[in-house]
Amino acid sequence: MNQTSPVKAMTSRERVLAALRREPVDRTPVVNPTSVATVELMDLVDAPFPHANRDAAAMARLAATSYTELGFDSVMPVFSIIQESSALGCKMQWEQKDNWPTVRMSEPIWQDVDDIRIPNDYLSHPDIVCVLDAIRLLRKEFGNDVAIIGKTMGPWSLGYHCFGVEPFLLMSLDDPGKTMQCLERMKEATVQFGLAQIDAGVDALTVPDHATGDLVSGEYYKRFLMDMHSEFVDAIPVPLILHICGRTVDRMDYIAQTGMAAFHFDSKNTPCESKEAVGDRISLVGNINNPETLFSKDPADVRREVIQNLESGIQMVGPECAIPLQTRIENLVEIPKAVRHWHDHHGHSH
Amino acid sequence: MAELSDIANEFIRQEIEEYLERPTEIERNIELFARVRPAMQDIAAALIEGEDDVVDRLTQQALADGIEALEIMDDGLIAGMGIVGIKFREAMIFVPEVLACARAMKAGMNYIEPILSDSGVEPIAKVLMGTVKGDLHDIGKNLCIMMLRGSGFEVVDLGVDTSDDDFIDAIEEHQPGIVGMSALLTTTMPNMGKAIEAFIDADVRDDVMVMVGGAPVTQDFADDMGADGYGKDALACVEVAKKLASA
Ligand code: B12
Ligand SMILES: [Zn+2]
Repeated sequence: MNQTSPVKAMTSRERVLAALRREPVDRTPVVNPTSVATVELMDLVDAPFPHANRDAAAMARLAATSYTELGFDSVMPVFSIIQESSALGCKMQWEQKDNWPTVRMSEPIWQDVDDIRIPNDYLSHPDIVCVLDAIRLLRKEFGNDVAIIGKTMGPWSLGYHCFGVEPFLLMSLDDPGKTMQCLERMKEATVQFGLAQIDAGVDALTVPDHATGDLVSGEYYKRFLMDMHSEFVDAIPVPLILHICGRTVDRMDYIAQTGMAAFHFDSKNTPCESKEAVGDRISLVGNINNPETLFSKDPADVRREVIQNLESGIQMVGPECAIPLQTRIENLVEIPKAVRHWHDHHGHSH
Repeated sequence: MAELSDIANEFIRQEIEEYLERPTEIERNIELFARVRPAMQDIAAALIEGEDDVVDRLTQQALADGIEALEIMDDGLIAGMGIVGIKFREAMIFVPEVLACARAMKAGMNYIEPILSDSGVEPIAKVLMGTVKGDLHDIGKNLCIMMLRGSGFEVVDLGVDTSDDDFIDAIEEHQPGIVGMSALLTTTMPNMGKAIEAFIDADVRDDVMVMVGGAPVTQDFADDMGADGYGKDALACVEVAKKLASA
């Protein structure tokens, strides 16, 4: 446990970068490695979905609210998980203001290894460019004040989108070798988009890769993804935050071995058991419950969960996954408030 | 009372011993498999292993040997699926394995279904299933459908992102006894209540029983919306459907 006193006051960006390296911080940073877009915030800055997912200026405006309105230490311009899939040619459903855009996975675009093609102009697709431009706008506006976290989808999640969830999962059982080849090819999309976001100015990247305990075993994670996630650490030279929602404690030991900077974990795993599983090998980010707490309860309940995370030594506090779009601002601003309050009264951080 | 050793198939004996923990489920499955003939145990075993080609072959063989289609479905396919459902509920197997079992079930049902429909054997009930408007999560819903089919229900799958009108049109077309709705997002959960309202407005609410489910849905929420039933997993879904079918 590091005493606060020797750590001088930090900017939000310094705080997040230090926590990603598991170095001393002036206080625990509050981050959103997935998304904190809400309908209220969309109204506040006139950046409604689906527009805010497709227009760089609107995307940057909405992303900025987590710093300017909520007091978080990071901003995240990618609110969904579909920008790359759209660029790869998936059928899209852009939805309305009150719902996230999604891929029509029932109409898959690929069936076999050889179908997989990362288009030559992948990085110039409008839904990719939009993110890159939004990152540049955010960097221009905030300089080095706030941590800008980007997002690049991992190959397992791209597999769900491009092959359909069920065909992809069946393939993983029927032909693990072929599945591995598919992942090898799809990972190009992950790496390319990651590198482009680094050029555009991100400080760190979230890599969502939904090999969750709700769908597949921990052994699956080890067999198909552990080494590939380690490769990403070398190939994409900024701190990486792996995101997998659902129950994951059975694979956290493997995740901790990848060399990723942080793991963004779900409230289906307690802060305590998660910390125990990873030790000091990787930072943990999380894990305020979305549907039951942030969406349905009150600031006092949010505070309780924040404190639980702090007391367990979680390095960065935030919601467990993309928050429900109807979440009240009141509950979100409570997260940084509770963190500050706790530090004021404890005088140290982990 | 039957004993484990009364079951001829060694694989089935092992499955019961290794994976079943609840005394009532152990007892029920020992009774069941001790009663059914070895050929049916073999079909169940192949289904549990997700071997669709073996289920295909054994089902054809059983029919050729003169075993009734209904017996093959009940004592082979459905019996095997019962164990699959329990293993999934207890996180002993995961979605890929369950999908493989579903594929094996289908391999057998390809032969059974035409015979049953020709001979006029009635399903327990007809169920419409759909994920609600704005929601594209369908893994859980599909597992429910598989277990329902695996338990003798006829199921019409409306897919994902099902609008109120899609539900209502399908109710009018298929005249199901039960409508099942699934939602995984807090943003789309209220759409279940809205669909029920729309059923009332369209004058079809009294024609069907409504059951709901999906990770964020609770019994309280189901009651508030005016649903007739709620199930927290695929096995519970079958139980609820059975209850609603006989209500
Ligand atoms: C897999 C998954 C996806 C896949 C979906 C693939 C697919 N074809 O379904 C992908 C990656 C594409 C995806 C996308 C999104 N997802 Co998602 N996803 C999940 C995840 C990890 C698992 C869901 C699942 O399949 N579970 C396994 C199945 C077997 O369980 P189940 O669905 O609950 O079903 C069981 C029971 O509920 C019951 N049941 C289900 N239906 C019914 C119906 C009846 C009648 C009955 C009786 C019973 C019943 O029986 C089933 C079998 O046991 C969950 C996290 C989690 N832990 O739940 C998030 C989660 C559901 N997703 C979430 C989010 C936010 C999203 C996105 C918005 C992400 C984004 N930012 O873009 C999009 C939205 C897409 C959309 N519009 O629908 C959030 C929802 C938050 C909330 N409550 O609002 C969750 C909870 C993650 C989180 N922790 O925040 N997702
Ligand atoms: Zn998530």
